Amino acid sequence: MEGSPTWEPEAWGSSGGWLAPREARAAPYPPAPGPSLSSVLNELPSAATLRYRGPGVLPWGMLEEEDEDGGRSIQALAEATQKELQEPHASRELPWPMQARRVHRQSQARDQVALGSRSRVARWALVLGWSKEKTQEGLRTLQPWVWTLKRIGGQFGAGTESYFSLLRFLLLLNVLASVLKLCMTLLPTWVEGDPPGPPGPDTSSHCGSYDPRPQGLIAFPTQLFSLLSGESFLEWSSLFYGFYPPRPHLAVSYLCCVFVIGLLHLLLILHRSVSGLKQTLLAESGALTSYSHRVFSAWDFGLCGDVHVRLRQRNILFDLQVELEEAELRRQAALRTLGQHAKLWSVRVLLNLLVLALLGAAFYGVYWATEFTVQLQEVSYVQQLPLLKLVVNYLPSIFISAVNFVLPPVFKLIAPLERYTRSRQIVFILLRTIVLRLASLLVLLFSLWNQITCGGNSEAEDCKTCGYNYKEIPCWETRVGQEMYKLLIFDLLTGVAISLFIQFPRKLFSALCPGALGRMVGTQEFQVPDEVLGLIYAQTVVWVGSFFCPLLPLLNTVKFLLLFYLKKHTLFSTCSPASRTFRASTANFFFPLVLLLGLAISTVPVLCSIFLIPPSKPCGPFRELSSIWSQIPISISSLSQTTQNFLFFLGTQAFAVPLLLISSVLMVYTLALANSYGRLISELKRQIKTAAQDKVFLAQRAVALSSAQGAL
Amino acid sequence: MGASGSRLSKELLAEYQDLTFLTKQEILLAHRRFCELLPQEHRSVEESLQIRVSLEQILSLPELKANPFKERICRVFSTSPTRDSLSFEDFLDLLSVFSDTATPDIKSHYAFRIFGNTTPSHMVFVLVLLGSWGSSLELILTLSFLASCDCSLDFDDDGTLNRDDLSQLVNCLTGEGEDTRLSASEMKQLIDNILEESDIDRDGTINLSEFQHVISRSPDFASSFKIVL
Repeated sequence: MEGSPTWEPEAWGSSGGWLAPREARAAPYPPAPGPSLSSVLNELPSAATLRYRGPGVLPWGMLEEEDEDGGRSIQALAEATQKELQEPHASRELPWPMQARRVHRQSQARDQVALGSRSRVARWALVLGWSKEKTQEGLRTLQPWVWTLKRIGGQFGAGTESYFSLLRFLLLLNVLASVLKLCMTLLPTWVEGDPPGPPGPDTSSHCGSYDPRPQGLIAFPTQLFSLLSGESFLEWSSLFYGFYPPRPHLAVSYLCCVFVIGLLHLLLILHRSVSGLKQTLLAESGALTSYSHRVFSAWDFGLCGDVHVRLRQRNILFDLQVELEEAELRRQAALRTLGQHAKLWSVRVLLNLLVLALLGAAFYGVYWATEFTVQLQEVSYVQQLPLLKLVVNYLPSIFISAVNFVLPPVFKLIAPLERYTRSRQIVFILLRTIVLRLASLLVLLFSLWNQITCGGNSEAEDCKTCGYNYKEIPCWETRVGQEMYKLLIFDLLTGVAISLFIQFPRKLFSALCPGALGRMVGTQEFQVPDEVLGLIYAQTVVWVGSFFCPLLPLLNTVKFLLLFYLKKHTLFSTCSPASRTFRASTANFFFPLVLLLGLAISTVPVLCSIFLIPPSKPCGPFRELSSIWSQIPISISSLSQTTQNFLFFLGTQAFAVPLLLISSVLMVYTLALANSYGRLISELKRQIKTAAQDKVFLAQRAVALSSAQGAL
Repeated sequence: MGASGSRLSKELLAEYQDLTFLTKQEILLAHRRFCELLPQEHRSVEESLQIRVSLEQILSLPELKANPFKERICRVFSTSPTRDSLSFEDFLDLLSVFSDTATPDIKSHYAFRIFGNTTPSHMVFVLVLLGSWGSSLELILTLSFLASCDCSLDFDDDGTLNRDDLSQLVNCLTGEGEDTRLSASEMKQLIDNILEESDIDRDGTINLSEFQHVISRSPDFASSFKIVL
């Protein structure tokens, strides 16, 4: 069985037959005459180059004691590898020990000197490559918190590290936005002299007057509450839109600032998501390699500490068992009868209807809360008690936060009932939570729009004179800005409150309470998906609000800085490593996508305000215009004729349609190319399989022939 | 940081930066940690570059102490004939392959070596005696024999990952105790699936290029194959 070679064709089909090479390699008795199969296979050039470890070092798989033809084989290996290494490799990329790499580098340097004058192009390419590497290294050292992120990744896994990496990236976006806002909005305001105060009550405008500044003495609690709700002294300040004077240069730069920031953020997010997308698109299909990935990339080598290692081992075991179980379930699912299928699908439809009903109820609640706020503010005793007034002001934010707190656990409970695989369940839960968060924001904005434009009906009694509801909301842009400001503040307060009043006491309680109860209460995990969605929601709020509240990016920078240190501190002091390892690859691909979705959603209210709703008459830099966008054509008409013609051409169909056609052609070409590469890969795989079979057949033949010769 | 300073010469530092993927701070930190493992009288710069540290001492580093692959890692990077000691340059090699900026190619090459064959030669007789994997009794016997050895077997690499390598790997991942291993049927099913996915030429083993092909499509590998001092 061991040494005797067989070459029956049917042995190749089953994997059992392939034990032959492995067995033949080791069992020494009875020793076959001539070279064995393993020695023949070991001498192949492909095996030789893979095992080569550099000059003067034993190749892999060779022990010092073997010296039968050790010297000869090492020589052969060296020669074989020399041919392979024709192209210049960077020495550090070779899988050899340090001494061998040193020798290789010295020989490479000698070769380069010997070559003498290289072509100019090659030299420039070398300089370019070197400078690119240096700039990348420099940019890497500029990033803050590098060691912190490495520590977090080592202790809590790559998923948690990706949350903090995303937080750092959003911080960068907000810093850039604040700087741009400062240069393009605040600076021009003060350059041309102090902006005037709010218009007095005796103006001739029939759209009412607007003076939010407080009259007389105000109690300190009222001042504090105004700080939290953005009213009275904050309302007419550079924080909100209404403050800015109607100067044409300021108007143009105010408007362009929004577009520049949007474009810059879009480019940065795309740049970040491209690397994640590339890796995910490379995989032929996730299902094809899930087991290999689960086993080969399962171990995080940065983990230290016995407790963490044991925890991770337990989780990997659980993960593998669940995956095998699910494969079993899938096999069973394929065998389901028609009746069972029908029952399952009816359950799924019911549950989806339930989810839709819950979402609908949540959205209606948000809408109602916003409408009710206006009504409640008219009630007299609310006006008198500042605290009650604050709570009423914050009613929409409170409602949104409550809904975001209550509904996701309900989704987590519903998901297992649908009998999908675990990974699909997670995707469904995430999708539903994303819809909940982003859509509740949209509903809030919709109800605001309803109030401002009298339900879109410009002929309604309240909106006829000025195009918007000037009696209730004299300066509607400031009002929208205030709502976004309140959402931001409330988000920060809830984050701090949850850390201080829920997580730390839980940790203290578990330390005091012994045994299983203490352990159960105390093991908190850092829920990466929920936290990341919270970040994306906060950033979407800022994107919507930064047109109406120019200092919002600056406030958000401060908020994210506080959040970083708060979350880091909470993580290290109260959380244990996550039980279900959230894959970093999913994070790198999925979350930038959702961020893009947030950016896309945030453009809807902003563009609607710029193009559709008439600007407020008593406040803001656009107060004398019919629409905010009309400032741009007015400014363009003051430029030279050629520039005007060029800019107008960009807006015509003669430019847009060919652009669209060319983009479509490029896309179709890229898709066809990708398709052909996929087919090429499958073809090559088939060829590798056949070549391997050929190789073993020939080796077995060679062994048989030489042993037959030896026996003779 | 203050007392040790940069005791490595500038040229040596530059050379190490060129030959490895480590930054200057990482090399200095590695030298400091390596010197802490040496006895007090051998801590000069020249001696630290020549002396070899035994495996037990390297394995006492907190970053490696709890790692189930610690023995294999040290043996792979050791250049001594008996593979039981590491010099400073071997230590730098280790950190370089496990650093942030190492190419995925070199990471997958060394991962293959680390996951690779650790079956001592006397084990193979058992494999020879048990013909096919059909009988579950034989399977249980084999697996229990395999499992009774811990993860630190004689290093004997033949360039491929076969079924027992894979089962050893999975046992390292899930823990060595009796109650932390997959059942025999689960293990067989798992290894069947892995070979189904990764073994392109259908020879029952995974060689280096098949391994690299699978790893290149795993986006998590580079971020998980990292050790930071």
